[in-house]
Amino acid sequence: MPLATEPFLSVRGIRKAFGPVKVLHGVDLDLPAGSVTALLGENGAGKSTFVRILAGDHAPDAGEIRIDGEKFQFRSVGKAREAGIRLIAQEIADAPTLSVAENISLGAQPARWGFVNRRAVRKTAHEALDALGADIALDAKVETLRLGERQIIEIARATVGASRCVIFDEPTAALSDAETRRLFALIERMRNQGVAILYITHRLDEVFEIADRVCVLRDGRVSLNTEVDAVDQNTVVTAMVGRELAVAEDSAPPEVRSLGKPLLAVEALSGESFEDVSLSVAPGEIVGLYGKVGSGVPEFAATLFGAAPRHRGAVHLDGAPVHFKHPAEAVAQGVGFLPADRASEGLLQMRTAAENLSAPSWAHLSRAGFIGRRREADAFRTWHRTLHIRSRPDGSERITTLSGGNQQKILLGRWLENGSRLLLLVEPTRGVDVGAREEIYQLLRNLAREGHGILIASSDYEDITHAATRSLVMVRGRIVAELEREDISVASLTRVAGGAAHV
Amino acid sequence: MSDETNGVAMTGAAASKRTISVPECAALVLFLLLEILFFALNSPYFLTWPNWVNIFTAMSITGILAAGGTILLIGGQFDLSVGSGMAFVALVFALAAQQFGIAPAVLIALATGIGIGVLNGFLVTVVGVNALITTLGTLAIFRGLTLSIGGASSVRINGFDWAILRPLFDIPLSAALFVVVAIVVGVLLARTVFGRTIYAIGANEAAARLVGIRTKTTLFLAFIGSGLCMALTGLVSASQLGSTSGTTGVGLELAVVTAIILGGTTLKGGTGSMFGTVLGLLIVGVLNNGMTLMNINSTWQQVAAGTLLILAVSFDQIRQRFIRG
Repeated sequence: MPLATEPFLSVRGIRKAFGPVKVLHGVDLDLPAGSVTALLGENGAGKSTFVRILAGDHAPDAGEIRIDGEKFQFRSVGKAREAGIRLIAQEIADAPTLSVAENISLGAQPARWGFVNRRAVRKTAHEALDALGADIALDAKVETLRLGERQIIEIARATVGASRCVIFDEPTAALSDAETRRLFALIERMRNQGVAILYITHRLDEVFEIADRVCVLRDGRVSLNTEVDAVDQNTVVTAMVGRELAVAEDSAPPEVRSLGKPLLAVEALSGESFEDVSLSVAPGEIVGLYGKVGSGVPEFAATLFGAAPRHRGAVHLDGAPVHFKHPAEAVAQGVGFLPADRASEGLLQMRTAAENLSAPSWAHLSRAGFIGRRREADAFRTWHRTLHIRSRPDGSERITTLSGGNQQKILLGRWLENGSRLLLLVEPTRGVDVGAREEIYQLLRNLAREGHGILIASSDYEDITHAATRSLVMVRGRIVAELEREDISVASLTRVAGGAAHV
Repeated sequence: MSDETNGVAMTGAAASKRTISVPECAALVLFLLLEILFFALNSPYFLTWPNWVNIFTAMSITGILAAGGTILLIGGQFDLSVGSGMAFVALVFALAAQQFGIAPAVLIALATGIGIGVLNGFLVTVVGVNALITTLGTLAIFRGLTLSIGGASSVRINGFDWAILRPLFDIPLSAALFVVVAIVVGVLLARTVFGRTIYAIGANEAAARLVGIRTKTTLFLAFIGSGLCMALTGLVSASQLGSTSGTTGVGLELAVVTAIILGGTTLKGGTGSMFGTVLGLLIVGVLNNGMTLMNINSTWQQVAAGTLLILAVSFDQIRQRFIRG
């Protein structure tokens, strides 16, 4: 691997606090030119703050950044850009009503006398997309595109102009397999051209696939910084969570007992972006529904819950036909739903943790329309204990002050408090760190044992391999395979979902 | 926002929550107290009982409308039609009173106010027109209707002077009605399932729907509530003035929104309280009253209220930036 003698970017003793909250306690890191450094850490470890400092978005409280050995003051995003540093942020920040081409040159439009050179805009965009092997119409409005395509446009934008250091913040979360492969190829090319790359990810397999070095942040400090070849997955996980974690490759498959009559039976259901899907979930079962982005899996779950319109087909709940036209009808029948995007569809921001947990149960927790605040706090206390939620026992703080994993537990606790029998969980561990993931899987197994029926609709194979008792695989809106517990593996899922996905 | 920042905040949450939640209202209370102190030092009449009755009486109409408006704004919605809606109700009442007598006219007035709320609610929640545009439209429509039907001169109303009666402690019934409405809305928001639902919708409408809340029905009801407030203020205004005209309640919508925002409800919804709105009303009301007592021209009161609004919201923005980093 080509390694330059002097690091392109060198960071020493970076500290940062927001008010009383200390986020970074002196971070040292070197980014050599022509090398990929993976940055890992649990949520809250300080990764995003760190890269925002590199990108000039935040000013550090202390410490220095050197570029090519020279001290550099990052006062703004513009300054960092001039120095050749590009950040591809985790959340998409595009201009939805502008075209693809305009978005790619956003912030650096080729212009003369203040007039944008449209031809140059298109040319730049065309080249950037070509480099990524992406086939997206230049004139399409960005708001009409899929999430994955928008992510690709974000990446393309970062490659415009002379970049010497590119920071990717979890770029593959919304990408399909093929798109991920092309991104990796691009990263490979950039590395060979001498670009210093910092790659943030949650996924260990990606680290070992593309990174030369691995750096782990824990509680605002570097807890591991070494060559990838020198470590294995266990070392990295331990550095992330600060303790030995049983890497649950095959941890206790939930045993299926007394499969009674199915709780949920779906026959040939069709809706927005899925066709003819049939499946059933019995009490005590955790059925996986695996599909990559664009497979129609989340849409299917939303349709079952009455959040999206149904075109054809039949759904039976406990043997009785149901046709939910509004989520309220599903909730009343004991169905719970965990949406894919926690921030935009799950959390009631600005409201307390207790309120977020009790939301579907307000009718039960009230008398004559008046909310029993003590009963609400007591309800929270119960789940605070059972689910090991790290918050105040009465849940009186705002939900947004909690970590992703704890937020997710509260969104699950919602339906437990409400006594839901059937749980439809979409991407149940997205944005949840390694430690809390295992807790959630364990919780789901316990719930199944207690007789809940669970459907996990996910694009993360770990959700399926760790929790499902059997799994269906969906490709382009259709079920293409059914795997029994013993057949579920990373290999089988990827083969089935990938094999037909890109024909 | 990534999870990162959320997670980071957690470590300091236990310590910082107290320091976040207290100043939210404390700053307003402090400002109000400073205002009171300043005017008390400048006018011997300011702290007397009759003057405070005046302050409350002067804000009763704005206050009742702001009560309905607070529910809507917490739910992330707007109602700009309150001023012209109130004028239309007063006109309908005056005409009906001439035809059928006072008692049937009161019922007709209530039905008219609720009808305006139903129209706004229907357009926003069923048809799907943005609330700002809907109520900007109905603002123009009902102002125009009032002027066309009522004509240029004012319409007299006889034998309807309940609002200026002072049965207890020299407090006029209009001010008492405002206090009652404020308490009802305050309890509704803070203690009932309906209130919770409104906060949930304002915090995140998509998420509220996915926990099984009938978001559209709830917002429809909130618009009807605002219409009911128009009916009440229409009756108060008709009674206070003994007449109504085409210019009744012009510009009230801005005074209402100013008080609500000043009281800490954000334009995005999800936060705020009736208590905050009352503080906002008092801050503006005390300022106007004190300036009048100091013989400052009423046109300057508008300048002061506008400045205050911008200062309060700027302060809030700075505070939030400091907290969130």
